[in-house]
Amino acid sequence: MSLLEIDNLSVRYGPADAPPVVDGLDLRLETGEVLAIVGESGSGKSQAMLALLGLVDPPGRVAAERLHFAGHDLLALGERRRRRLLGKELAMVFQDPLAALDPSYRVGFQLAEVLRQHLGLRGAAARRRALDLLEQVEIPAAASRLDAYPHQLSGGMAQRVAIALAIAAEPRLLIADEPTTALDVTIQAQILELLLNLQRERGMALLLISHDLAVVAECARRVCVMYAGQAVEVGALPGLFDTPAHPYTEALLAALPEAGTARRPLRGLPGSVPGRHDRPAGCLLSPRCAYVQDDCRARRPPLDAKRQSQARCFHPRNQETP
Amino acid sequence: MSPVLIARELTRHYRVSRGLFRPAATVQALNGLSFELQAGQTLAVVGESGCGKSTLARALTLIEEPTAGSLQIAGQDVAGTNNYRQLRRDVQMVFQNPYASLNPRRRIGDQLAEPLAINTDLSAAECRARVLAMLERVGLRAEHYARYPHTFSGGQRQRIAIARAMILRPKVLVADEPTSALDVSVQAQVLNLFLELQQQFGTAYVFISHNLAVVRHVADRLLVMYLGRPMELGPAERIYRKPLHPYTQALLAATPSLHPEPGRQRVRLAGEPPNPLEPPAGCVFHPRCPYATERCRGEVPALREVDGREVACHYAERFV
Repeated sequence: MSLLEIDNLSVRYGPADAPPVVDGLDLRLETGEVLAIVGESGSGKSQAMLALLGLVDPPGRVAAERLHFAGHDLLALGERRRRRLLGKELAMVFQDPLAALDPSYRVGFQLAEVLRQHLGLRGAAARRRALDLLEQVEIPAAASRLDAYPHQLSGGMAQRVAIALAIAAEPRLLIADEPTTALDVTIQAQILELLLNLQRERGMALLLISHDLAVVAECARRVCVMYAGQAVEVGALPGLFDTPAHPYTEALLAALPEAGTARRPLRGLPGSVPGRHDRPAGCLLSPRCAYVQDDCRARRPPLDAKRQSQARCFHPRNQETP
Repeated sequence: MSPVLIARELTRHYRVSRGLFRPAATVQALNGLSFELQAGQTLAVVGESGCGKSTLARALTLIEEPTAGSLQIAGQDVAGTNNYRQLRRDVQMVFQNPYASLNPRRRIGDQLAEPLAINTDLSAAECRARVLAMLERVGLRAEHYARYPHTFSGGQRQRIAIARAMILRPKVLVADEPTSALDVSVQAQVLNLFLELQQQFGTAYVFISHNLAVVRHVADRLLVMYLGRPMELGPAERIYRKPLHPYTQALLAATPSLHPEPGRQRVRLAGEPPNPLEPPAGCVFHPRCPYATERCRGEVPALREVDGREVACHYAERFV
């Protein structure tokens, strides 16, 4: 049994026949694994994770054949038991740390609250543990930061505090949604290193959601590429970025400027991601794909779940011809 | 050929109130920056938040006057001129957020025609023809003329913002993080458009970005800034191949790569940029620099020529 098992997850808003924002997502995550979900805006990567955490509120609707975390059925879980699970076994770090922290309470109080809620620690014990956590996320002069309010922290420091909150109850899975997008590049490097160190030391699974392929390449061992609500390619790194099978993955990689592309036109995708209401009948990429053929416009290709490396494409790239 | 943009010791300080009973402080947002830019070339400015990139953009586009130093645009000295109308025609700007930089209540055709109506003697029909030609040039269609901004995607909006900036054929275009708000595939389209327009019109670009991969793609010359001061300035490829300033080295090392070498040891920069109200003595980078010595703590390094570029480090030779 995997730590996280997602089968055919979909998230919908609006009428019953409205196109889903997450469409039939299958995912497996093992204990201690680092998996990345990468995609552009509107790909459904954040919605899928919010569904997992039970944070999709009506009128949003979540449906899945299977949504299991560490043996718990997340769909059948009552409100009380969900609250006991979230923040303890399953924690999350968001993009904007200053929005994730409560502006009216001191850092130490917010940490103590998590420790009281999930570990039953109080008073001096909670404070000692809070200090411990700030030191683990490498905040300098941690003791003085306990009494700081979030607005007194820089973006990088606030993200460290948000990470300390997330790991306070020793979760088995940490979901990080664009954790470094709002940060400068040298701070981004520090935060990514911190997340990976914590993951290794604690044997915690890490699910990294990002739009940045280079960040994903540096951090994850496996990647799921999403496009317009669907997973289009899943596979191991670095192999998948060396020889992508799906034309979308290939185009994303070609669109990135790298050493050696200087002042030459970048090969990108024409047009933009289709909105929820103008999705094509066939393959979702077909209007933008350079290799489109008749069958792509007629039917949606499936994602073959049986193979190790999978691409949702009738005519995958980089295949060895027998 | 004479440069279209010459900055000499460009400086901008802000006074910041710190409350009723404390004396006001000064932020040295831009300190003694000198550079030249030729027509058809791109100067890329990189650095982290608070390094003075956007202050530089505001000074170059005449939104704010520099506190000290001089600025020459297309041969004309900005200080002591009253010919601001001509200068503003010559310098245009593209902003980061295309959702904020277009007027939501006006048709985009009218927004593009406005600079022509203000700055030229063209008739309404000629203006319209120029706008339509420009729309087509940036990859939009004639029927987009009468639409409002909300009907466009982020990438299309940025194309419109670029069209508006380029419609007066400026000599200098200042672009402040023009692709940071865009998705990867759209970013590629917009970068291609920037390069095509530069080839066609010979515009000089000042391209401000925090993304070193994007910068490497567009830059001829590179300016690395830290806390309002220039750290390294010179030909972009030369600096990318062998950065001489420890800060440039750290920036490049921190930039994630699509094909990371396994087991690569990186120069990790500890700490965060210092409070600009209390910049460190000596070299402003010394508190985070892995090579800092006693000399760095006391003596401000001058920008000097080393190995074909200018570097503000006492020990730049060590890295040649």
